[in-house]
Amino acid sequence: MNGPLIVQSDKTLLLEVDHEQADDCRRVIAPFAELERAPEHIHTYRVTPLGLWNARAAGHDAEQVVDALVQYSRYPVPHALLVDIADTMDRYGRLSLVKHPAHGLVLTSTDRPVLEEVLRSKRIAPLVGARIDPDTVIVHPSERGQIKQTLLKLGWPAEDLAGYVDGEAHPIELVEDGWALRPYQKQAVENFWHGGSGVVVLPCGAGKTLVGAGSMAQAKSTTLILVTNTVSARQWKHELVKRTTLTEDEIGEYSGTRKEIRPVTIATYQVLTTKRKGVYPHLELFDSRDWGLILYDEVHLLPAPVFKFTADLQARRRLGLTATLVREDGRESDVFSLIGPKRFDAPWKEIEAQGYIAPADCVEVRVSLTDSERLAYATAEQEEKYRFCSTTATKQKVTEAIVRRFAGQQILVIGQYIDQLDELGEHLDAPVIKGETSNAQREKLFDAFRQGEISVLVVSKVANFSIDLPEATVAVQVSGTFGSRQEEAQRLGRVLRPKADGHKAHFYSVVARDTIDQDFAAHRQRFLAEQGYAYRIMDADELLTDG
Amino acid sequence: MSTEEKPAAAPRSLAEALRGRDDAALAALLRSRPDLITPVPTDLTQLATRAGTRASVVRALERLDRFTLQTAQALAVAGEPASYEELLGLMAGDDGDPVIAAALPRALGVLREQALVWGGDDRLRLVRTARELLSPSPQHPSPTGLGPTVREATAGMSPGRIQELVATAGLASTHDSVSAVTALSALFSDPERMSALLDEAPAESVAVLERLVWGPPYGQVTADPAARLRWLLDRGLLLPTAPGTVVLPREVALRLRAGRAHRAPEPSPPPVEAAATHRPQVVDATAAGQAYTALATVEELLKDWHEGGPAVLRAGGLSVRDLKRTAVALDTSEPLAAFWVELAYAAGLMASDGEADERYAATPAYDEWLEEPAAGRWARLAGAWLAATRTAGLVGGRDAKDRTLSALGPGLDRSAAPEVRHRVLTLLAGLPEGASPSTESVLARLSWERPPRDGDELRARIARWTLTEAEMLGVTGRGALSAQGRALIGAPPARRTEAAPEGPGDKLPVHHRPAPPAHALSPAERGAAGAAAARLLAPLLPEPLDHVLLQADLTAVAPGPLERPLADMLGVLADVESKGGATVYRFTPGSVRRALDAGRAASDLHAFLAAHSRTPVPQPLAYLIDDVARRHGHLRVGAASAYVRCDDDAVLSEILADRRAAGLGLRRLAPTVLAARADPAGLLEGLRAMGFAPAAESAEGDVVIARADAHRTPPRTPPAPVPDGPPVPDDTLLTAALRAIRAGDLASTAPRKPSGGEGPGGELPRTSAAETLATMQAAVLTGEALWIGYVNAEGGASQRVIAPVRVEGGFVTVYDHTADEVRTYPLHRITGVAELADDGG
Repeated sequence: MNGPLIVQSDKTLLLEVDHEQADDCRRVIAPFAELERAPEHIHTYRVTPLGLWNARAAGHDAEQVVDALVQYSRYPVPHALLVDIADTMDRYGRLSLVKHPAHGLVLTSTDRPVLEEVLRSKRIAPLVGARIDPDTVIVHPSERGQIKQTLLKLGWPAEDLAGYVDGEAHPIELVEDGWALRPYQKQAVENFWHGGSGVVVLPCGAGKTLVGAGSMAQAKSTTLILVTNTVSARQWKHELVKRTTLTEDEIGEYSGTRKEIRPVTIATYQVLTTKRKGVYPHLELFDSRDWGLILYDEVHLLPAPVFKFTADLQARRRLGLTATLVREDGRESDVFSLIGPKRFDAPWKEIEAQGYIAPADCVEVRVSLTDSERLAYATAEQEEKYRFCSTTATKQKVTEAIVRRFAGQQILVIGQYIDQLDELGEHLDAPVIKGETSNAQREKLFDAFRQGEISVLVVSKVANFSIDLPEATVAVQVSGTFGSRQEEAQRLGRVLRPKADGHKAHFYSVVARDTIDQDFAAHRQRFLAEQGYAYRIMDADELLTDG
Repeated sequence: MSTEEKPAAAPRSLAEALRGRDDAALAALLRSRPDLITPVPTDLTQLATRAGTRASVVRALERLDRFTLQTAQALAVAGEPASYEELLGLMAGDDGDPVIAAALPRALGVLREQALVWGGDDRLRLVRTARELLSPSPQHPSPTGLGPTVREATAGMSPGRIQELVATAGLASTHDSVSAVTALSALFSDPERMSALLDEAPAESVAVLERLVWGPPYGQVTADPAARLRWLLDRGLLLPTAPGTVVLPREVALRLRAGRAHRAPEPSPPPVEAAATHRPQVVDATAAGQAYTALATVEELLKDWHEGGPAVLRAGGLSVRDLKRTAVALDTSEPLAAFWVELAYAAGLMASDGEADERYAATPAYDEWLEEPAAGRWARLAGAWLAATRTAGLVGGRDAKDRTLSALGPGLDRSAAPEVRHRVLTLLAGLPEGASPSTESVLARLSWERPPRDGDELRARIARWTLTEAEMLGVTGRGALSAQGRALIGAPPARRTEAAPEGPGDKLPVHHRPAPPAHALSPAERGAAGAAAARLLAPLLPEPLDHVLLQADLTAVAPGPLERPLADMLGVLADVESKGGATVYRFTPGSVRRALDAGRAASDLHAFLAAHSRTPVPQPLAYLIDDVARRHGHLRVGAASAYVRCDDDAVLSEILADRRAAGLGLRRLAPTVLAARADPAGLLEGLRAMGFAPAAESAEGDVVIARADAHRTPPRTPPAPVPDGPPVPDDTLLTAALRAIRAGDLASTAPRKPSGGEGPGGELPRTSAAETLATMQAAVLTGEALWIGYVNAEGGASQRVIAPVRVEGGFVTVYDHTADEVRTYPLHRITGVAELADDGG
């Protein structure tokens, strides 16, 4: 009884990192417990029903879970918790969706009372058809997603064994010239392919695109890729042309400006969720080809309507890619039931330790408002307050000081408010990329930045996602979208790509002291602090005098 | 203690039987039926009488185990007196059963010991009250399912009918009904003749018998029974009891049952079965972990209620809302919250404060309790739980009056609870170490030991609660009794050598004596047992730690229980985020401020963290403390009732220095401002007395002019004038007044015709009913007023002057001058009538 694990009554597991058995323990609890926080000494895992069912989906049983807890726990594990875990895990797989040779898609049960219970539910009744035998009931193929979602809500998640359509075949191979899939990427592809559908969780900069490409090479079929925005779509295309046998012509872009449907089509969430006269006119995209694989980039941002479309695509293989399963809207269970269980997960620090992402030095710089600004802040309207404090003039000075300090390195200045950015761009003599910058211009600037022709780039939140700036080593965040945790994670991700010279990455967050800016910053940083990225806090004066 | 009565002289009564017992046997009786010595009987006759009273017998029967009760039931259907062989036959049947034969002497011994049965083995007698209670009757069917005897069932039958029965059954006819019935009984009781008789029976008739044989023995028949029933009725195999109802006589049923009184005699207690077996170390450790959690939970509960707990409901107890809130605070379910609350209450750690607005609060005993070592604290809790009659499991249910039973409220006491708890744990103690029983087998065993009456599930419910509560308290671990739990109930430590050969699936009967004394432990023994349990528990509880791990995400993790001062300080400095084996604390600006408010300086906090952290204090945490401390106390708030302001700070210094200013409570806030505790008027007075010429200042800062402003009221209406006399009335009023006056006058003074002979002094006129009617009718015609005497519904008499308008249906409608309105009077209430004098009007 001196293990590295402490089981808490709220079903969190505390893992002492420095314990000699910590790594063994981490390996056995990772399948069923979600890593919630990974600060320096004690990592917190949480045992949730979804996590337990994820483990069941991955082939673990309750006995393994209980054994793992009992074996590594420092203190006796409460009996009630063990019973609860066994009960919860036991619920998965009592019901399964399978393909019946004569009746098509059916819901079968190994436990008749459970089937009776769910069939009596008002929400299930409209989704099922005739009862073939006491343990089997017909499910309309179009309700495959809906019924999985509903069953999960009822607490009886169904195992989807109905298989997938192969889709239209299309030859895709990886071109591994001078590079190769990293071991964890290979593992992720393998886990996904073995599981059929599901989500791969990898930190920003860990090469999620390559996991996508690897999966496509496995599927060798037409593929629909859903991404967050056009820039990201271009990057996918660029990356796919570079890494696979696919040519430019085989890859179509389906966005606001272009509507190409090719064997591999990259569509943006925005165009899919555009609504005209109450209908989604671009839905036909899903039926326009016999897709063999559907890729969801940034699953944690998946908009609600896409869930709805996804519910109808349950017969196709689905791969979700994300850096975090944390959704600000709490729809993790829909991700589980509609995209699939988590198939692969690697903590940031682990991948950093393997040298695939750069170590980062995160600093929060606190600036004080001037007396007149403080007065103005106190009297500002509630909705103006954040804008007011996050665009204080002092931030400019600090930003300039940081840029001066890292002169010669590739620096990104990221912010929320255009005025502030414009002003900064002027002072720093750097180009500004914002919403109104055309895509062509954006790509030109990005290219120039990549080539090192320009070393400072000021970007608004349009650059939040998926832009690939391999050589950015310093990011300065001057303002953000209130308290969004995943935005912070994305921004940090900008500088985490491994640097050619092994430089440490720097992430500066400039925050106005004693204002709501500071509160939001604390909220945003929480995710990263929990991932083990400790923030240092500096006073602006310190920085200014140093610089 | 089946002491045989002295065989020399067979006793003739229970009293005699008791007299024949030795002291030990009598002591055993009194121990098992303590109600017999409250008050102490004067002699054995009185003791015997009391042992035969209904209440006492019912109480004794309720406490019998199932087999003993079955034995008593069998005796109740046997002849009186019955021999041991007869009883054995009833219990074991014609074929005999070695198990029953072996168990019967014990059961009979218990019955004898409890003075429910007396007499030697050849003449066993059930106490009369017990016999009445246990004998089958239509109102109280016996669990044996037997009906009345032939004799009882034929009691009201005509001799002729009995003759017919005898004849049809093929017996020699006799004119004596008594001997006829005896012959019939004998036939039914004789196996050979009976089977011969049944061989003749039609198959459908046999089927009817089979349906009734195990009870209930009553059946419905129509007025014209079917042939299969008729065949049975004719031979007395079924006897009518009431019109349309027949019964299977006891003798017939017994014969059909091969002599057995019970379908399923249960001579041996069902074994308590182990559902799982864990290593004893695991059990003890788990229980210890849970014991620690229990202590933490109780402390947390009372900490939560530290500054005034929830209010006491008017009817007593905790409101549902407060219970919910407590459950949330303890991060548990409501039933469990009720358990913890009741536990703290039972242990005397918390009670109502008895103030006007009653609240729950910790008692002084709680503070003492806190000082004890953890194991001792646990022993107090567990001991209180074991002995409490209050049952938390009932909370949320409803009482007999359909009122919700609230936690800490009235109506939660169940006197059976301590005994059931003790019994359940004792059963667990009978299992090999580390074995956890299946709940069902425990319940089955309890139900055998004391069969529930009429679906009364209370004991079973208490037993279920006991199993969960024992787990919550850490008396059991993973369902098996821990070593400390074993010590707590005073059971001897498990003997591994003996348990080993039984294996995990042990089925050994745990106790050969079914119901050991309920409260086995005296208070002193309980104390000793508690101390022993605490000794066993102490080494299993985790050692308190003196350090925490601080992390950059502003959390601190205590990887185990903390020493109390450390835990207290951290509890102020940080918020608890997660509990269990470890505690996770989170530092927030709010929590740091709380520590600063509690009088700690930033440097104290830094030193505290540095001293108790195994790792360097993370920079963000140090920064947080400094940042909060920087702003802490920046603004100061205090109370002052007046101030002195002066641009010349030398004057203010002078005032401060002046001794006469001492009473004003002056304090310098700024060079030009003094705050005073005295009120503005007092301050002005004081300053003037010191020779200054202060001016008062308004809230806006204007100088208040000393000359008093004219004081004005809010808008008011002028007072209405009060004239000397009333106003001159107008004509309408006058007329009305006049009429009233006149009517009153009429009533009191009208000279009447001297009819009826009453005087003028207000006597009610009295006339006969006929005369009254005639006078009325006449008055209707003439329209003249009459003077009547009238008695109202309440019996009050009055005199009225009326002018009749109509007389009909026993009522007279009149214009009542006295009341000045039209009224209707019942004639029978009018005592008399008199005409007014002619000038009456």
